[in-house]
Amino acid sequence: MEHGSFTDNSVATFSLTDEDHTIANAVRFTLNQDPRVTFCGYSISHPLEARVNIRVETTGGPAREVLKDACQNLMLMCRHVRCTFDKAVEDFKASNAVKAMKIDSQDSSGDDSEESE
Amino acid sequence: MEGASYQRFPRVKIRELKDDYAKFELHDTDASMANALRRVMIAEVPTIAIDLVEIEVNSSVLNDEFIAHRLGLIPLTSQRAMSMRFSRDCDACDGDGQCEFCSVEFHLRAKCISDQTLDVTSKDLYSSDHTVVPVDFTDYAGYESSEQRGIIIVKLRRGQELRLRAIARKGIGKDHAKWSPAATVTFMYEPEIHINEDMMDTLTLEEKQSFVDSSPTRVFDIDPNTQQVVVVDPEAYTYDDEVLKKAEAMGKPGLVEIYAKEDSFIFTIESTGAVKASQLVLNAIEILKQKLDAVRLSEDTVEADDQFGELGAHMRGG
Repeated sequence: MEHGSFTDNSVATFSLTDEDHTIANAVRFTLNQDPRVTFCGYSISHPLEARVNIRVETTGGPAREVLKDACQNLMLMCRHVRCTFDKAVEDFKASNAVKAMKIDSQDSSGDDSEESE
Repeated sequence: MEGASYQRFPRVKIRELKDDYAKFELHDTDASMANALRRVMIAEVPTIAIDLVEIEVNSSVLNDEFIAHRLGLIPLTSQRAMSMRFSRDCDACDGDGQCEFCSVEFHLRAKCISDQTLDVTSKDLYSSDHTVVPVDFTDYAGYESSEQRGIIIVKLRRGQELRLRAIARKGIGKDHAKWSPAATVTFMYEPEIHINEDMMDTLTLEEKQSFVDSSPTRVFDIDPNTQQVVVVDPEAYTYDDEVLKKAEAMGKPGLVEIYAKEDSFIFTIESTGAVKASQLVLNAIEILKQKLDAVRLSEDTVEADDQFGELGAHMRGG
């Protein structure tokens, strides 16, 4: 839900229901990274009501578009973290498998060298 | 389109990975993103837990609601949870949320017939779906199998009986803690420790030893070969300033400088067993994306404009 002005669409307050600090803080941070944004903050009016107000003021473009772009950037970051995590898990499992194999081969070759000595 | 994007892309490096425990590093991201991940892992990743209990016979020493509460807290393997529907959203059943698409049925029958006390455990819960079963905590590291019998629900004496039917549904930690898949999720800032070597050389060996010992956790140690103070485990540092206070007390402020890197985090995740630790992180990212999608798309609804239009017209005296 957007509360803004008809004449000036570069400043607006967005009221999100069923949301809390989880998404609001992340979106606020991403909005601050955007050079088009002059002011950005969020507040939760009452802790028992699941509603977040995010205020956005831009240098001229529509605030709604800026918010949508911020959400898009965050989603891209999430996607990237997911891919990176998947790859890291695979690498970790592969390196562990290699280590396990090396330990096995070292044990068997160690026995041989001890016998020869 | 925006101008220069300051967006950075995070990096992940895994330190340890077991079935129910994961430790990894997350670099090049902000605390708000790390905290969002942590909050979603604890409160919004869905799992399956017993939600409705029909008790036929209960002659044990615990009353019905006590046993129902304990049953709800038993962790169930929840790989299916992400693809399941919430009972309230299910249109296959007639609204009472007991069809095969949105719920899993369990039953338990126990009667003590011997003089020895019978332990009714989570292993006595039989599921209608073999992919959703109570988590097996058996440690295969050499214990006798009779010692690992599952979570004890209630103990029965001779003649006491417990017979019940339970329905398990999908839910999130926000509704009730029984649905939280995470035991603990923590993240800490990665510390950066710089030792001022020139100042360190002016100390005697005893002073160095007392400096090393002043830290409650073993962060520093004295290298036996070079007699120098070295950093042995930077992550054991708990951001108590004991070593800094000790340096000042010795009259040498600036002996060691410790910074917290603002964009580097070390996550420690322990899962209850309902979902694997690595899967927990992936599910959390998925849920975070869904929430962002909902925010992004809700801005396209026309009703806000209509409401707003009426309000605006009203305010303008229309």
